[in-house]
Amino acid sequence: MKQNHFSLSQLLTDLLLLALGALCLAPLVYMVIMSLNDTYSSFAISFNPKDFSLHHYWDILQNDKLLRYLFNSAVYSVGGVLLTVAYSCLAGYAFAKMDFKGANILFFVLLLTMFLPTEVTLVPQYIIIKNLGWLNTYQALILPLPGAFGLFIMRQAMLGVPKELMEAARIDGCGNFRIFYQIMLPLVKSSIIMLVIFTFMATWNSFLWPLVVGTKESMRTFTVGLSTMQTQYDNNVGGMMASATISFLPPFLLYLVLQKRFVEGVAMTGLKG
Amino acid sequence: MNGLRNRGGRRKDAVPAPAGGAAARVGGRLRRVSPYLYIAPIALTLLVFKIVPFFLSLALSFTRYDILTPPVFNGLYNYQKLLGDVMLGDAVRNTLLYAVIVVPIQTVLALLLACCVVGKGNRLTARFAKAAFFIPYLTSASIIGIVWKTLLNSDIAAVEGFFALFGLNASTLLGSSKTALPTLAGIAIWKDLGYYMIIYVAGLMNIPQIYYEAARVDGANKWWEFFKITLPLVKPTTILVVFLGITTSFQVFDLLYNLTGGGPGTSTMTLVMYAYNLNFKSNNAGYAMAVSNVLLLIVAVLSILQRKFVRRETSEW
Repeated sequence: MKQNHFSLSQLLTDLLLLALGALCLAPLVYMVIMSLNDTYSSFAISFNPKDFSLHHYWDILQNDKLLRYLFNSAVYSVGGVLLTVAYSCLAGYAFAKMDFKGANILFFVLLLTMFLPTEVTLVPQYIIIKNLGWLNTYQALILPLPGAFGLFIMRQAMLGVPKELMEAARIDGCGNFRIFYQIMLPLVKSSIIMLVIFTFMATWNSFLWPLVVGTKESMRTFTVGLSTMQTQYDNNVGGMMASATISFLPPFLLYLVLQKRFVEGVAMTGLKG
Repeated sequence: MNGLRNRGGRRKDAVPAPAGGAAARVGGRLRRVSPYLYIAPIALTLLVFKIVPFFLSLALSFTRYDILTPPVFNGLYNYQKLLGDVMLGDAVRNTLLYAVIVVPIQTVLALLLACCVVGKGNRLTARFAKAAFFIPYLTSASIIGIVWKTLLNSDIAAVEGFFALFGLNASTLLGSSKTALPTLAGIAIWKDLGYYMIIYVAGLMNIPQIYYEAARVDGANKWWEFFKITLPLVKPTTILVVFLGITTSFQVFDLLYNLTGGGPGTSTMTLVMYAYNLNFKSNNAGYAMAVSNVLLLIVAVLSILQRKFVRRETSEW
């Protein structure tokens, strides 16, 4: 580690990383450039900033259908995140800090659901939603979302909080819920942020479930809408790229702001195995 | 109403609580009940949307069912049908082929890149590379579908030139039944590489520097260090990356739905795509569930194997 002096092999790996990194980013750079080009075809792509315009973005902002998709995606993501964080924190607290009958077996059974591939549950879930009469509703999108992963993360985080802190609060007259709300939650903030990131990514980019339960056009999410748009407006490349860029923007901005948390989160899923 | 009053009572009582008597008994009962109240929302969600569907899928796989009319029990018929199903054979073969291409390449690349990045500490290139490899992971399958299809089919000289370097014709990659699956695999690797690289970076950081310093004192070169220290010590991470890779490969759907739709022909039809089509296109939900149960069995066996491997590895440490 200390030998960070200039050397040929360092220079070569530097160049290699730069080149490969640029290569990885290239498709997304093309996406943004094409979205800024005023023309409708990808064949006349121009990298000259003088030719750039926000014309396609302006069109999207005036397209009621696309705005509706965006709204649906926002409801799905925000609702999904709130519900997942609330459920996971509550249950994580109980499993981490309370003694009760059947705690271990209950936790084990709930955790097992994490290993069910989405595809096994997909069709039966669809049948359940359909029989509840929930097709094309927001609750069909949001309510099935919270999973065992969040529960696991929050329980792990709360296990690490020292019992003495809770005892002190209890002596001061705090009830269970107040301890949870005023002491526990602030202490596991970083895990909550991580859960928010993962859940947001999972909902915003989610494809299969919104495709299945949102059969009406007005209930499509932006990600699904983007996919159907492809077949409908094949000739408007610039417009499609602008839509793709808009869809990419929220996760990207979140990543820019919380870069460190993203990396910690991914590393943690790795260590959990 | 009762519950509310109890909770208030308990809170007031929790401070001195010398009174004992009825209020304390109520509080005690609530304390016994309250853990279940905390767990109820997630437990109910998982029960209704995971556990019940699991048993439903088991049960309905023994029926003829099209979702619209009630299911009709037909015994092992669906599972017998699995054995002679040519399409299913294609789907299994494609799924395996996809995993066989994706997993080794992405694992090796992720490890090598992680080694490069970690070796650079906090240099600008390392930070750039970490971000650049990870950013594609933020994209959705729909974005990938739009961007990659457009790029591959466009006349952009840089894109065509890049693929020509490898003797490939960009515009026919997704359209030809020979190259469609490997192309999908390549795009999947592009997307996930940064994710696995970060997992490896975390794994590499956990290796104590002492080992390397000792090796350097003994005059070891970089390659010796890599094969004799890094590779063995990062093995738990490798097992994880491989099994995560396999399980996600076996469940790939979004990407091929957006890039090829399973075609041309059945050349990119995977198990999940097949089950999806059976249910939502051919109204054959019963059989679709038999197919997904086979998938579940494979994933379950793999998960158990992974646990075994990992446990053995960590106990060796």
